[in-house]
Order: sequence, then structure tokens, then C-alpha cells
Amino acid sequence: MGIYFNEVTHEYASYSKKTYKAIQNISLRIEKDYEFIALVGHTGSGKSTLAKHMNALIFPTSGSVDIFGKHIAQKRDKKISYNQLRKNVGLVFQFPEYQLFEETVEKDIMFGPLNFKVPLEEAKVIAKESLELVGLDETYLKRNPFNLSGGEKKRVSIAGILALDPDILVLDEPTSGLDPAGKNTLMKLFTEIHQKTNKTIIIITHDMDLVYEYFNRVIVLKDGELSFDGTPDNLFRSDVLDSNHLDYPNTIKTLKYLKEKLGLDVDIYQKNVDDVVVEINRVIANE
Amino acid sequence: MSIISVKDVSFSYNEKKQGLKNVNIEINKGEWIAILGHNGSGKSTLAKTLVGLLEPQNGEIIIDSIKLTEETAYDLRKKVGIVFQNPDNQFVGVTVRDDIAFGMENLCVPREEMLKKIDFYAEKVGMIDFLDKQPSNLSGGQKQRVAIAGILAMKSDILIFDEATSMLDPYTRNDLIQYIKELNEEGLTIIMITHDVNEAVLADKILIMNKGEVFAFDETKALLKNKQIFLDSHLELPVTLEIASKINNKKIKESLWEFTLTK
Repeated sequence: MGIYFNEVTHEYASYSKKTYKAIQNISLRIEKDYEFIALVGHTGSGKSTLAKHMNALIFPTSGSVDIFGKHIAQKRDKKISYNQLRKNVGLVFQFPEYQLFEETVEKDIMFGPLNFKVPLEEAKVIAKESLELVGLDETYLKRNPFNLSGGEKKRVSIAGILALDPDILVLDEPTSGLDPAGKNTLMKLFTEIHQKTNKTIIIITHDMDLVYEYFNRVIVLKDGELSFDGTPDNLFRSDVLDSNHLDYPNTIKTLKYLKEKLGLDVDIYQKNVDDVVVEINRVIANE
Repeated sequence: MSIISVKDVSFSYNEKKQGLKNVNIEINKGEWIAILGHNGSGKSTLAKTLVGLLEPQNGEIIIDSIKLTEETAYDLRKKVGIVFQNPDNQFVGVTVRDDIAFGMENLCVPREEMLKKIDFYAEKVGMIDFLDKQPSNLSGGQKQRVAIAGILAMKSDILIFDEATSMLDPYTRNDLIQYIKELNEEGLTIIMITHDVNEAVLADKILIMNKGEVFAFDETKALLKNKQIFLDSHLELPVTLEIASKINNKKIKESLWEFTLTK
């Protein structure tokens, strides 16, 4: 089970009546478990459009998407429970903080579960647990979401999706606008959820440092087409990024610089700062 | 000469939530300032007070020798342009072209000149092929580029970017930063609120906000040398300097510093 794209193309209408293809002929398989996927690409490459197809928020102009066994084609199908799909695949948009609307954080998080007929008392427990998961304590429950800072709002809105306990979690740039501490907390949180539950998590990001350190699969879109699908390591060792307006992780860039500048014989493919330090020290010790 | 002086400014949203506490800052004409700080530290509140969107309960803000008040705010906005983090909050036009034109229309820029400027700035942000598109059909990063073009076209003396580059892909972001560099060299004052230390190191000075107060304000290089300030304000050093701080070899350390500051 999972999300399977079969030659999906999506066109948007435009003011000048010409349509333009946001994604083109995309085929890929995302399984329900064990995947931790980064979705990257330049602005306008079709990342968000692809994400919206993952829980049938929009319909393909051509091709189809199979989401947990439901066949999504060009039109709405009365036999399909789209609500159920939303529970299979939880989608957190860009700037989810703008979707907060309730008077208290607790009510906002409970909104989803209550819609799925979870009893109030249970929903309250879920709200508290979900809030804890995103690193906010229960004093936040009674607070007004509109008085929170941007980063706090973002966490509350993510808690709202976690409260639905979806099988697959899709997040559109969840860490943009967060400070480094908040970013790390969230990435650790996603990693934890992934490790504890084996649930597949798909994250749209521009942050290649995160991609290298945390993910086991990376999908690259270029002008709406699939440009790469594989491990981060294979991606950074290839030249795909050069033609994609994308950047390399800081670890690689830094080691590459040292290698060229000082002639250090380092293996530049290191995933995080600690690995870089170990590698540099190894080379120094050998010299 | 300072183009912005913030004197003893305090602002609170309500009894519980203090936004700014006794903030004093002098920014000189032509400086590039990066403002860092964790979420909720008061960075955006500061930016909003600088453009008169929020009125401080205490203290005063003087921009180019004019005190910012309700009466002067409208005129001062011509001097200070701001781009926010979320482009959806700042769209007015039906097409990208209209949207870029909006600010200039308010400044009564003649039509011929306006059309030229629209093309020029759309090109600068890489959106020239999108002029007839509806902003609502654009991606988040593309919207942000349109918003930035609209502000650049107004040619204000001071530009504030409130995390405006956080949604851009690295390539577009580098392009934009290069252009901001050019503008800065022409004498524009740049204030860049960011979470990206790698971006902040490009500035002349770094201002660190913490709990609504100015925690540190110094020349970039001097500030970067003080790792403790970053730790105390829950910020990270650039990856390159983080590595440098863990390596003992002098030559490698020096190269890492050089790489950090010349990027």
C-alpha cells in the first residue's frame, strides 16, 4: 500500500487562457512504510502540486494516482471516501500557521479528530499528546493561537495534522521560517515519528544539509518533470544538481573547498559536522 | 550619519506578551544589517515598528531625520520598503505585471517608465516569463520573487527583508543576494531578518535579538568570533565555523574562516 503515481500530468489555467503544466508525466511509487523522502526542486518546479496529488486535493489532468488502493483519475468519484484518504495521507501546507482559526490551541488541534467522530475526552488527550510531540508543553493548550509567534503557530498546526495519526505524512516546507533550534527540534521529531512508527514521511525542502543528514530517499523535480529519484548520497555524487539550480550540502561544499585550497586528501561526502571533523582529523593524523 | 535611530523603543502586544524592550539601535546610511534571533525574539516586531505598522508605546524612531509618527508614516514608507515572509499576504494585482506595478502606481511613476521598470525588475528576479500569469497560480517561491520585484521597483532608500528569502531555492536566493549586494554598493541601506547564518555573514553588522531586547550588535566578523553569544541566544554558527571551532589545525581554521566570509 502507498501512493502510486501513473504518468500524472497537471495543468493549471492561466490568465492569458494558455494552460501551463505544473507537473508532467510523473510516475513514482511511495510505499506506506519505512520511507523518509525529501522532495526538492527549484521554485515552481511542481513540488507543491505533486504534494497536493498525494491526498487527492486536486485531480490529474491526465494519468492517475492510486492512494491506498483508491484510484484517483480525472474526476471526483462518488464511490471514494475522500475524508478517509485525508486520514491515510496527512498533508501540511506551506504556512500552515495561517490555517489556525480556533480560540484556543487545544480546540484547534482537536478540530480534526472531532470531525472524525473521536469523543471529546479522547480528543483532549490526543491534543495534549500531539502538542508534546511538537515540543510545546500543555500550558499552550489554553492559549490563543493568534498570540503565538510564527514558529509556535507552525508547530501547533503540525500538531493538528499529527492528531489525525495519518499513515503517511506529507509536509510542504515545514521548517522554513523556523530558527535553527526549532528546525532541529522538528527534524528530530519527524525522524522520531518515522523510527517509532515506520511511517513514511515526505518533506518538501530546499535545505540540502537536512536532506543529506536525515533522509533515505530524495526526489528531484525540474520544470515539472522527475529529474532524480534515489538516495541523497547518489544524488550528491552525481551532477544532477548542477543542471537543476540546486545547491550542495554545506559539508560537501566546505570539504571541497579545503580539498582544493589546501590539497587535503579528504573524502568530501560527509553527512554532518561531526563526520566532517572526524574526516579532517583522520587526514591530518595521516599526514 | 545614521539613517535609522531607534531610541528606547518598547512595544507590547498585550499585558502578557512583550514584543520589544528598551531597544536602542543606530543604523548608518548604506549599511547592511542582518538581524538574527530565535522565533519570538522580537525580530519581526522590530521590522513592523520600523515601517510604522506597529506603534511603540515608548520611545521613538527617527528615519532620515524625520520622527516616525502616524502623520509621517505614509511618507516614510516611500523611504522604507519591506518584504514579508509570506508572499500571500502582500498580493493585490490580477497579474504579476499589475502586482509589480502597484507600488509604483502609488508613487505616480509615469507609465512609460513604469513599463520599463516592470520588465527590468521582473528580469532581476527571474520572473519575466510570468508577467501575464495570475499570482495565485504561482508557487510560493515565485510569489515571493514577484513581491520582491514590486518592492525593488519602488527604489526606496531602505529595504527590509523579513525572512523574505526563506522560501527561495538556493539558486534564486543567491541571485537575489548578489543583486542586493549591488544595491547596497549603490548606497541602499539593507536590513535582512533571517534564520540563515550563512546569509547573515554577508552583512556588515549582525544584530542579535533575544526576548525583545538587543542581545548583541557588532561588526559581523567580531561577532562571529564570539561563539558564546550564539549559544546564549540559541543560534547556530555557520557550518563552516562550527567545523572550525572543532578543529585544532591553524591552517585549516584560517581557510574555513576565509571560506565563510568570502562566499
